[in-house]
Order: sequence, then C-alpha cells, then structure tokens
Amino acid sequence: MAQINPEEFAVTDFAVREHRSLWGDAWRRLISNNTARLGMFIVVLFVFSATFSHYFWKYEPKKDLDYSLKLKAPNLVVTEEIPSIHIFGTDKLGRDIFRRVVHGGWNSLRVGIVAVGISLFFGGVIGLLTGFYETVTMTTLERILLFGITGLLLGLLSAWISNQIIQLVGYAILGLLAGYFNNFLSGKIMRAIFFGLLGALMSFLPALLMGFTVALICGTLGLFSGVLLSMTLDGRFFSNFMMRIMDMILSFPGYLLAIAIVAFLGPGLGKGMIAIGVVGIPVYARLTRSAVLSVVHKEYILAAQSVGESHGRIILRHITPNILSPIIVQTTMGLANAILSAAALGFLGLGAIPPEPEWGAMLGDSYRFLTSGAWWAVLFPGLAIMLSVLGFNLLGDGFRDALDPKLRT
Amino acid sequence: MTPLLDIKNLKTRFYTQDGVVRAVNDVSYTMNRGEILGVVGESGCGKSVHALSMMQLIPFPPGKITNGEVWLDGQDLLTLSEVEMQKVRGRDIAMIFQDPMTSLNPVYTVGFQIMEALLLHNDMTKNEAKFRAGELLELVGIPGAKDRLDDFPHQFSGGMRQRAMIAMGLSCEPKLLIADEPTTALDVTIQAQIIDLVKKLQDELGMAIMWITHDLGVVAELAHTINVMYAGSIIETGKIRSIYKNTKHPYTIGLLGSLPRLDDSPGTELVSIPGLPPDLLDLPEGCPFAARCEYRIEQCLVEKPPLVEIDGKDHAVACWRWEEIAGIRSK
Amino acid sequence: MGRDSRDKVKMKAEMKKLVKVRNLKKYFPGTEVSIFRTGNDVKAVDNVSFDIYEQETLGLVGETGCGKTTVGRTMLHLYPPTDGKIIFDGVDLNELGERELRFARSKMQMIFQDPYASLNPRMTVGSIVGAPLDVHTDQSRKEKRERVQELLDIVGLNPDFVNRYPHEFSGGQRQRIGIARALALNPDFVVCDEPISSLDVSIQAQVVNLLEDLQKQLGLTYLFIAHDLSMVRHISDRMAVMYLGKIVELADRDEIFLNSLHPYTQALMSAVPVPDPDLAETKERVILDGDIPNPSNPPQGCNFNTRCPVATEICFKEEPEYREVKNNHWVACHLVK
Repeated sequence: MAQINPEEFAVTDFAVREHRSLWGDAWRRLISNNTARLGMFIVVLFVFSATFSHYFWKYEPKKDLDYSLKLKAPNLVVTEEIPSIHIFGTDKLGRDIFRRVVHGGWNSLRVGIVAVGISLFFGGVIGLLTGFYETVTMTTLERILLFGITGLLLGLLSAWISNQIIQLVGYAILGLLAGYFNNFLSGKIMRAIFFGLLGALMSFLPALLMGFTVALICGTLGLFSGVLLSMTLDGRFFSNFMMRIMDMILSFPGYLLAIAIVAFLGPGLGKGMIAIGVVGIPVYARLTRSAVLSVVHKEYILAAQSVGESHGRIILRHITPNILSPIIVQTTMGLANAILSAAALGFLGLGAIPPEPEWGAMLGDSYRFLTSGAWWAVLFPGLAIMLSVLGFNLLGDGFRDALDPKLRT
Repeated sequence: MTPLLDIKNLKTRFYTQDGVVRAVNDVSYTMNRGEILGVVGESGCGKSVHALSMMQLIPFPPGKITNGEVWLDGQDLLTLSEVEMQKVRGRDIAMIFQDPMTSLNPVYTVGFQIMEALLLHNDMTKNEAKFRAGELLELVGIPGAKDRLDDFPHQFSGGMRQRAMIAMGLSCEPKLLIADEPTTALDVTIQAQIIDLVKKLQDELGMAIMWITHDLGVVAELAHTINVMYAGSIIETGKIRSIYKNTKHPYTIGLLGSLPRLDDSPGTELVSIPGLPPDLLDLPEGCPFAARCEYRIEQCLVEKPPLVEIDGKDHAVACWRWEEIAGIRSK
Repeated sequence: MGRDSRDKVKMKAEMKKLVKVRNLKKYFPGTEVSIFRTGNDVKAVDNVSFDIYEQETLGLVGETGCGKTTVGRTMLHLYPPTDGKIIFDGVDLNELGERELRFARSKMQMIFQDPYASLNPRMTVGSIVGAPLDVHTDQSRKEKRERVQELLDIVGLNPDFVNRYPHEFSGGQRQRIGIARALALNPDFVVCDEPISSLDVSIQAQVVNLLEDLQKQLGLTYLFIAHDLSMVRHISDRMAVMYLGKIVELADRDEIFLNSLHPYTQALMSAVPVPDPDLAETKERVILDGDIPNPSNPPQGCNFNTRCPVATEICFKEEPEYREVKNNHWVACHLVK
C-alpha cells in the first residue's frame, strides 16, 4: 500500500543526511584551504584599499607634482631636505609613489571588473546559446530569429561599405523571409538562386544612391548572403559558425589584438577595458559552451522538456545554475589576467592617459631610471601588480579545488 | 584439507572529512580449493571493499585495514610488503571487474595487455607469451582469437571485452579468481554466455572463484556456497541449497522475497524491506539490520549477534532469533 | 489478491485504446566518416506498431540497442519521429503545433532511469516537483505548495522535505521524487523508462509496489520499459519483446511466458537467472552464439539471423512480417505459422 505507517516513516527519515547545501560544502572546503585563504586575504585587502582610497582619500593627479622632490629614495622620517614622508619614495615628477600605487589599484580594479564583465557577458551568452542549440532543436520562432540575426550580421559589411543603415534592415528582412519560408523550394537549386537574386536586388537598389560601383559591390555581397541564407541553418551550423569566429579571434596573440583595438579606438582607460574585454570573449565562449554541453545531455534536462518547460526556462533555471562552477573559477583567474593586461597596455603608453595613476604606466615611466639607482620607482608598482595577480590566482585555484565535482561525496 | 583462503576478523575503515566509514566489520570465512563462493549484498554492504582489502588495494589515505589476517595457502597477505604483494597479484590471486571498458587500457592492444601479465610473472619470451595469449583468447571463446590479439578494446563488444578480461585473469593460472560484479553491466543473453564459460573454465582449470554480485539469480546458477553481507558484516553463510531453501536471516528472507521470479504464480506480491540501508558513518550498536527488521527485540538493538552454525558446517546465520523466526513465519 | 487489470485484459474488445503507435521509425544520423560522407543511419526504432489499452501496463523488454528507450522517448515526442504516427487519445501528435504539443505533455509523462541525473542538483525538491505546475497551471504559490506536499505524501516521502536538495536523498527516494514530478499534472499515461535498474534490489520492490498502487489509485496507464524480464513480467499485463529496433513478439503476459513463439524470446527467458538452485540445474538453456549486431549495420533479412539457433534460408533473405498469429499474440518470424 502507498500508505506508509509512521514506523516506516521514521526508518525512511533517519537515512536522510543532515541538511547541507552544495554551496555550503564548497565554502567550507575553500575556507579550510590555506593557499585559498591567503589569496582571499590579498584580494580583500586589494579591493578594500582601492575602494576606500577612491572614495575617502581624494587624489588629483594633475595637481600632484613637485620637481624638487624628483626621484627621492623612500624615507620614513621628515628631514631637512624632504619635508614630507614618502614611504615608497617619489617618481620622476616628484609624486608620492605610495599614494599613486594605492590609487592605481582603483584603476586596475575597474579595468578588471569591466573587462571581465564584457568577456563574461558576451562570451557567456554565445557559449550558452551555441551549446544549447547545438543539442536541442529550435522552435520555429527561434529559427526565424536566428536567420534574421545571421542576415543582420552578414549585412554589416555592406552597411559599412555603402554607409547605409538601411542595408542592415534589408539583410535582416532577407534572413527573416528565408527562415519563415523555409519549406519553399527546399532542397532545390532554385531556392539558392531565388534567394541569391533577391538578396542581390535588396542590396543593390538602395546602394545605387551611393554610386554605381558601390552598388555593384553590395549587390555581389547580397548575392552571396542570399545563397547562404537559403541553406538550412540549424543549431549545429550556427554553433560551428560562431565557434570559428571565436577561433579567429583566438588566433591573434592577446596583447597584440588588444593593442590593435586600442590603436583603433584611441587612448584612454575605458578603451583599454573594451580591448581587453573583447580579447577575452572567446575564452569564456568556449568554456561556457563546453560546460553547457556537459549539462545539456543530463536526464533532468530531458525531464524538463517532457514536463513542457520552454527553452528559456530551461536555460535559465536548469542550465545556468549548473554551469557556474567552471565560470567562477575562470572569472577569478580572468581578473588576474585583466589586471596584468591593463598593466601591459599601460606600460606601452596605451590605456591609461597620464597623469592617471596606473601601475603599468608607472613602470613605463620609471624603468629607465633603474640604472641611475632609483629602484623604488620600479619595485613598488611592480610588486603591486604581482601581488594582486597572485592573490586572484590563488583564490581561483582555491575555487577550483572547492568546486571540483569529483571531491563531492 | 586446509582451506585455500582463510580470512580472520577483517576490518576496514575509511577516514573521511565527514567521519569514519566502517566499511568492513569483522569478516571471517574460509574458502576451499576449487570452490565457487558467491558474495552477495547490495551497494555499500562491503562486498567489493573486503575483496580489495584482501589484495591490499585499498588506497591509504583515506582507507585503512585496521585489523585482520588473510591467509592464502600459508601466507598472511596483510603482512606482505607492496613489492611482495605485487608478486602475489596476478599470479596467485587474479581479479576482474565490472566495467570492461574502463578496466582495459584503451590505448594498448588486448594482446599486449594479456602478455603483460604473462611476462611479469613468468620467465617467457615475447613470442611464447604471444602464443599463450592467443591460446587464452581461444579458451575464453573469442572467435578468430589469434588474429584479434592486435585489436584494441574499443573494437571488441562488451561481452568480448569481459571474456578478454577473464583471459587476462586466468593467464597465470591463479589459485583464486575474484570476479567483482563481472556481468552486471552486460545484457542478459551475454551474461548467460559468460556464466556458461566460467563454469566450463572452472571445470577444466579447477581454480577457486569468488563471485561478487547483488544478483541472487546468478549466484544460484553458479556458486557452491554463499556469503550474504549487510553493512560490512556477513549475516548468513552456507551451502547454496541450504541458503535458498532453508533461509534463516530476516534480511535474506526479505531479499529473496522481493525478487520477482519468472515462475511466480500471477498476482504474487513483492515483499519489500522497508527503510534504507544504514549510514556506514553512523552504524548503530547491535545488529545492523535491526532498524528494518520486523522480528527485532530489545537484544537486537544492543548486542550484535555472532554467526552461529546451524546444520553442522553447512549453514551459519547471525541472528538472535533464528530459531523462532521459522516458526513465526509458518503461522 | 489477484490483479484487477488482468480481468480488464480479458475484456479487451470493449477496452479503449489510449495510445496507438503505427509504423514508428526513429533513425539517428550516422557518425561523420569524412566531411562529405556520413555513415549509415542508426535505425534505433524501425517500423514499430502497437496499442496500449487504458489502465493497462504494457511491458517493453529487450537488450542493448533494441530501441526500447528510444520508443518511449519518441512516443512523447521528445525526439521527433522520422516516420510513423502516434495517436494519443484520438489525437495524432504529428499534427499538433509546438504550443499544443507542450500542453499535450501534461497528459503523458515520463519517469527516468537515473535517479541521480534526472533531478536538477541545484533545485529544491519542492521546485522540481512543482515545475510542471508552474508551466501548465495558474495556481497560487500556496496552492502549488499544498499540491507538492500532497504529491510527496502520495509517493511515501515526508512532505517536510520540500526544501531539501536531491543530493540529500538516497537513490530510491530520488526515484520517488521523480514519480511525484510525473504525477503532478494528473497524467493519463506514464512511460517508465527503466525506473528501477539503478536501484538496489531491496529498494526495487518498494518502488515497483508504489507504482502498482499508484496505478490502482489513480487509474494510470503504463509503458514499462526494462531489461529485467522477471520484473517486467511481474508488473505487466502484456509484454512486447524488442530486438534491434523491431518488435519480435507481443502477447499477454502469461501467454508469452508459457507459449513464446519467437526464438529470441525463448532464449531471453532461458537466460534470466532464477534464484533457485534446483531450478537452475534443471532449466532448459538456450545459449545464443555471438554478440548483438551493431544497430547501424543490421543483418540482411531477419535481424536476428546472426544468432538464431533455428534460422533457415529464408531468414537470411527476407524480413519476416509482424503479424497476429493467435488471438492478441503477434510475432515476426518466418518459422511461425
């Protein structure tokens, strides 16, 4: 009988383990790990000092200069010569290095967060969608949308060449049509020819306003795009396509690509953040995609489908919470990487605009004075970079050990 | 005749972050030459762990054999060093496992893996070993054996891989073959083939076999004697006919009753044992089965019953009330 | 203590067919051999037809590669069928749009094999069991919570455990949670895809008894997929045996046991170990030769011919027809008249 008597209840109950959440377990493992604790300490110190100093210890870099204090060694007491205390010494413009190191932390923190934020958001979304639709069949609406977006992306080139936004619209419509009428002449060459000509026309006509040669080029692009869109684009094709784009980005050495982007966008810390962020997108895309692939084959996803849950709900409630572990580890390591990259850009004079304090820029300013003995101008910014990167790396390692599923009983 | 294998008071513990797991608790029994022993129990009962303990294959940390003696033909295996144990493994005792896909190394050919064992324990040349490997594959019934020596594990089907594993196990003619759930992952018709093969091989080669499984049906077809394990202890042991026909322990009775049989009359209800197996981190005092037993009395919760012999040496059971239970059931 | 469903089976002529499957095919694309060529399709389900009557349990058995799990999933349209029809309560599932199909799902549910993988480890038990209610009903939080507690009670779990996570439960308890989820919307038809294979023997009986009680209480219809013949025989009213994508025999439970006609069925029965040493000795054995063929490369003619002990010439040339040879006893074999 389904009626279980109270005695059986008690028997069933006692074997349920005491209430412990999975995150709680992971936290305990993290805390008990010594290197992770060290990493956490460094990170907390870093974040705290950067935030606190930014909001409560105002610093105006443009006003800070005093040639009389140029390149003085660290001093802990006031002397006749040096009227103020500089525990890290001064740099080539007489600025207090300690102050600049602490405030530079705020810039580094910002770069880290924004850059990783960009990589995580775009890379994560790409990885999530490619991994999911590679395995699960798309609904009609999703498929039409996909065609439209592909059309839009294909139209970017034409729009840039002809300087007409309307090209984007045209290509998007072409995509939507191809997606909606996906059974029209399907499987036949006629379909490719039809959409090819349609695409050529839709691109050529508006571009005539800009000149005949331009129109010709756009028309050809339209032809190719039309033919491409006439094919059956399914999740696997789309995933392949996106991942190859990711591969293309990855084939550039990271720093060089960042430099190229900054050269294109112009100097400034904000542009530097974007550059570093963009360079990191493929890493997160790959990571998320592989995490999604490992989750999407599990039976609880099939169970969710059998219950009738929509794709959006499955992605949000079932897939996302279960892929957080590798993403958390990567994000932490990624912060370390971003700080390092920002320092590299700063060292080369890209990124932070002087006189903004930035560790890499400080190194760039001061390394040539090393031979004349001004070691403090190089040591302290360098140490700051090293420690903050170390802290995040240790913490990331700690996360990886704590979240490793094999260690879970 | 002295027994081939004599295990005395084997205890194995796992020291984990959550506490001490008492995996094997005071296990003692003997095996004779040429005997097929079935070790039966559900997951967590300690059947695999005790076999691994015998072979000193328990990883330390977190596991540790805290007590016991394992006498194999005059030698206490637990006193041997790792180097000495390596000579015993494969030659005197061989072990085959459940999943042949992961117990065979996918990057080496099957022939190579069989030859490895032969070359380690015997003074053979490579060619001799290769020839013997071919003979062994034929012995286990793989068609075209000699040509298949150069195949990789993924080119074999599940049943074939298990046969190859058996060939590896038998290659050095061990005195004892331990088979840990060898057919659990196989289809039922393939399982029948493997059981048939093992029976034939045992007839021919005469080694002792310890067959670890949760399937009481398989054991009935194959074994001479059975040990029924629960929560790390043996709760019933004896000759196969006596165990099945004259079951004494409430757990074994429950287990047999919960199995549907092809020859059941229609409408027979399955008897289920209420509750769940105990948490090995927190084993209660007294009989480990008491919490789920419908015949329990005060004494069962306090004192753990020892194995007592009934019927001479053919049957022993660990239950305080074994005599009364038969009477209660027939009412 | 007889089973009322057996009497129902005798009244089959008056019984309503809840599910009709006609010529169902599900092929999976083969693996890529090169960039231009893909291997043969895997014919997981190859032209399968059967009916399931209301409130009966149809057992579906077979070994690896026979396609039984694929049949279950394709019947619920979790995989879109390559060909064939599935008619549920008079409605052809192929003709439903996506939205309609999602809502039809509330009447046909599934219980999965792996109790560890079929529950989202990051969701509480309450959310898991309540998910169907979120998707298909407008109930308030309070109403949903009450229903979830009711469901947990029905399957024999303590309703206070709604906020626990799956990893805090044992395998058998997790399977009960899966059952509670399947029952949330009061389905008519439940596909049980190997629900007890991953459980310990003593727990299997608990879960099977629960499924049987629920069937009586709630009037459910089951498709019970398993490879354990004895368990399938225990719970089913009728049984179908599959081999390499096709049904080889389908009949009433007792009929198929006492008078099995197909050589594969006979071999399968004899291979099942019986927990009785005397019977084990005297049992007639049919040991099949060789292995199960690769589903992407099935034999020509009857797909059982590579292992059949009584195969004749015609078995290697022509595929046998699946036909009703006796009252409600279907076989696909040349040697059966």
